[in-house]
Amino acid sequence: MAKKIGSEALGRFYKEGSKVRTRREWRGVKDTAYDFSRWLVIMGTLGKFIIKPRNMKAMLRYRWMANYLAVPMMVDRHTQGLRGEYLRMCHAEQDLIIDDVAKLLDKLFKGDRRIGNDEEFSKKVVLVDENEMTAVMMGFPMLETLSRETPSTYVPVLLNQHSMEYYMDIAEEFGLAPDVCPMPEAEAGVSINDDAPVLGACAIQCNTTCDGSLLGNGVISKRLELEDGIPVFQLAAPLRHREDDVQEYAAQEIRNAIAFIEKHTGAKWDWDAYFECAKRVNLATRCRQEWLDMNKTDYPQVFGSNLALYTETNYMAICGRVPAFAKVDRKLTKLAEKAYKKKKMMAKEYRHRAIIWGVQSHYYFDFLLWLLNCWGIVPLTDMLSMVSTKEIAEVDTPENREQAYYDMAWLTENMIMRNRTHGGYKVLLDELWDFVEEFNADMVILWEHMSCKALDGMHGMFEDRAREKGINLVWVEHDLFDPRIISRQGVRDQINNYMRTVMREEPIDPSLEVLPDDQSW
Amino acid sequence: MCKKCKCCSKLPWWSKLLIATTGIFGLLFTVYFFNLDMKLTAMMEPWLLKWYDHVDRDKHL
Amino acid sequence: MKDLKHLLYFENLLLEANNELVAQAKKDNKVCVAFTCESVPEPLLNLEGTFSVRLRAPRTGSMEMSTYYMTSFLCEYTRALLERALEGGFNFADCVISPDGCSMMNRCVENMELLKTMNKDKDKFFYEFMEIPMKCDENGLNLYILQCRNHILKPLSETFGIDTSEKALRKAVEEHNRICELIRAIGDFRKEENPRITGYEFHILTLATYVAPHYLLIDKLEETLEELKTREPDAVNPYRVRVVLTGSEIDDMDYVKLVESCGAYVCADRFCLGSLPGRVPIELNDDDDILTQVCRHYITHSQCPRYMNMPKMTGRRDYINELAKEYNADGIIYEQVKFCDPWAYEKMVGGRVLEDDYNYPVLTVDRPYSIDSGAGQMRTRVQAFVESIEIKKLQRGGING
Repeated sequence: MAKKIGSEALGRFYKEGSKVRTRREWRGVKDTAYDFSRWLVIMGTLGKFIIKPRNMKAMLRYRWMANYLAVPMMVDRHTQGLRGEYLRMCHAEQDLIIDDVAKLLDKLFKGDRRIGNDEEFSKKVVLVDENEMTAVMMGFPMLETLSRETPSTYVPVLLNQHSMEYYMDIAEEFGLAPDVCPMPEAEAGVSINDDAPVLGACAIQCNTTCDGSLLGNGVISKRLELEDGIPVFQLAAPLRHREDDVQEYAAQEIRNAIAFIEKHTGAKWDWDAYFECAKRVNLATRCRQEWLDMNKTDYPQVFGSNLALYTETNYMAICGRVPAFAKVDRKLTKLAEKAYKKKKMMAKEYRHRAIIWGVQSHYYFDFLLWLLNCWGIVPLTDMLSMVSTKEIAEVDTPENREQAYYDMAWLTENMIMRNRTHGGYKVLLDELWDFVEEFNADMVILWEHMSCKALDGMHGMFEDRAREKGINLVWVEHDLFDPRIISRQGVRDQINNYMRTVMREEPIDPSLEVLPDDQSW
Repeated sequence: MCKKCKCCSKLPWWSKLLIATTGIFGLLFTVYFFNLDMKLTAMMEPWLLKWYDHVDRDKHL
Repeated sequence: MKDLKHLLYFENLLLEANNELVAQAKKDNKVCVAFTCESVPEPLLNLEGTFSVRLRAPRTGSMEMSTYYMTSFLCEYTRALLERALEGGFNFADCVISPDGCSMMNRCVENMELLKTMNKDKDKFFYEFMEIPMKCDENGLNLYILQCRNHILKPLSETFGIDTSEKALRKAVEEHNRICELIRAIGDFRKEENPRITGYEFHILTLATYVAPHYLLIDKLEETLEELKTREPDAVNPYRVRVVLTGSEIDDMDYVKLVESCGAYVCADRFCLGSLPGRVPIELNDDDDILTQVCRHYITHSQCPRYMNMPKMTGRRDYINELAKEYNADGIIYEQVKFCDPWAYEKMVGGRVLEDDYNYPVLTVDRPYSIDSGAGQMRTRVQAFVESIEIKKLQRGGING
């Protein structure tokens, strides 16, 4: 127990058969006091949330709400071994995300016909998918953009690895083939099980990320539109997003979606609000670019889940609409610059520089930190963080108003993960090797999500190219939301075996090599 | 604070506040450090899951 | 029933991707346009100087090479195609036009491109990937038209000097319609109570029209139609129930044969590479340009599950119901090739809707690409389904749907 990074064997906190850890880390007086203060804030956020009777009612109605008991543990997982600026970066992000999700839940239950049933509020609500860029909502500040899938499906699996097993089983009970991606499968399961809040003036579904999302939405909209009476617009984002001859189509889809929202809510598109959001989107892009540029040097600063989880939330779910995220962007950059100047490191030892490619396992998001702490593999960047670097028009002019539709379309097409898994092999296969060179990486950790056909379909070509270039390519198989197929230890063992047999190395922290976390949240 | 103990009643208000705050801090820190919050919620989870099994739902496609 | 005169000929044609008619057309110096999905409008591939071949991989055995490249998680149809391409089985093609329709098909063709399976010694060979609309609306139609222009007509014209004028397109549609009318006329015999053509025979004829040049098939199809007009069915109908077979692609000749061997007559073929809606004639008018009319036809009629707007989604199930009524079906079989994501969802929802809302007995199955490897299990499922329909018919007094 000490202030120094790597002074504590992190594996010792796990106990066989237990959901939770034996205790929290001692990080030295300063960092422990800081972590403790943030824990108090999180407790405050959760307390303020659950004290409202309607939220308690929702807790007792929706099965997926039980996973929110594990919120502080999610933060603990992502702060393992962190000190100084890195700890503060992680908290800045996580605490904001927790606050944002708490607000989202509060609003969902406010309008939910089963819970708060606030009809006036519900008339201002536009439901959006989890797997959807919310760019189309940037000009509707008077409306509430709420996602049902984010808090019911996506966040729970970050909190509790077993959270979606029940819903996946429901979908399969109703005849869905088990080889499909667990994410839309679980979303469909939530809908089938009557576990989705019912509210809203209308909904915008999107075909992103993939075939699974497109089709799973059909299951959801069948209930949402045909039974709950909430009109749904399907926003079709083209797959060949790098081609010029799809952009007009994409832009027209955006125009049609905006017209649909205006029709069903009575709200009017606000160009001032849109360009304010656009400025924040550009700020986020610039900050992210700066972090990635730092990661190309010997002293990367914002990486691992500090980069991945935050980018997913900020880029996709927020999309410039929430000013608090702009503040955090600046704070993260400041912390990163401070640490960079001092040539600080996040872990005791950096042995390898890795690009993390493929679709990451949601039930093991803190895998990136484990790579670093156990084997000294620095996850410089990941596929989901390599999103659009284009700055969009942010000044209100007649030309820019026209350009805005193309910008929103571009963002929608370039949704997280989707911008790589679709659009041709160049964006998935070729560009990976460009990044390997840019980031001076010696290793690629390739997440092989077994139900992601778009990714699996390039398996052989990844192997061939890695061989040509002499890059260590480590396959890590998983099934996204389902740890029953490959457990967390199963994921770790794939790395462990490679590092021992191929790289002939010993772990930096041997206590992390095998962890008894099968039952853990 | 011990009612019978004269020394306690002679303490100024700020020191009583300090003792109370230290006590609360100590309690909270103990909960934090030994992960008692998560241990408690982990015990609650099975009961909650059993509760959900009994909630009426309109399960269909 | 007396064997159809040309059935053996058509069966033999289907034993090879590079069949004798493809070879004949190549000798006639026609450009072979290979395609992989029903979303690529066929008439545009059958212009003067070109002929289309929908890729399939008959008699596929092992798929080890393609499984290395694409993993065992992807649908067998796409892996079979890549395997055949790697073996050189598609070297007759002069170009490949594929939509970015489903991820798996897209990866299959991308692997073909990256591994240079077909274009090693061909300077003019090209691969084109099209964006296909996901909604049947005005915006989707405009996209489709642009994509067909940019990724079919323009490359054919620029690379091979093919005439893609309005006149040429009209002629191609008229020829396409001739094939469709023949197939539909033959298919209409399936509506009879004791039909004079089996579902298997019909599937063979229809499949041939996807994989062989139309101009070399027409004579035999016309003869077959004439032959059928006077063909006597069996005295006793050998089938116990009538089913609509719907779902993902079926290019395996033996699959429909297996279903029918269990006593279930396949009266309607609503699957990819079937006649419904693949062989519905395109009605032309004199108002719009041909390309627009072709695209409108395809976008309106397509039953592919990737069409995601609500009218299309509910429309797919309504269509099955209409077919079941039109062809007097007793039940529906929803099939999907293993690991096909689009049909996995469509099978789940469609199966439930047809059963719960439309009161049809429904069987949902997934199957390997080549039924050889799963014949026993499939037979058991279909036989049980046939028996359950018979029992229901008895219970209901013969009324279904």
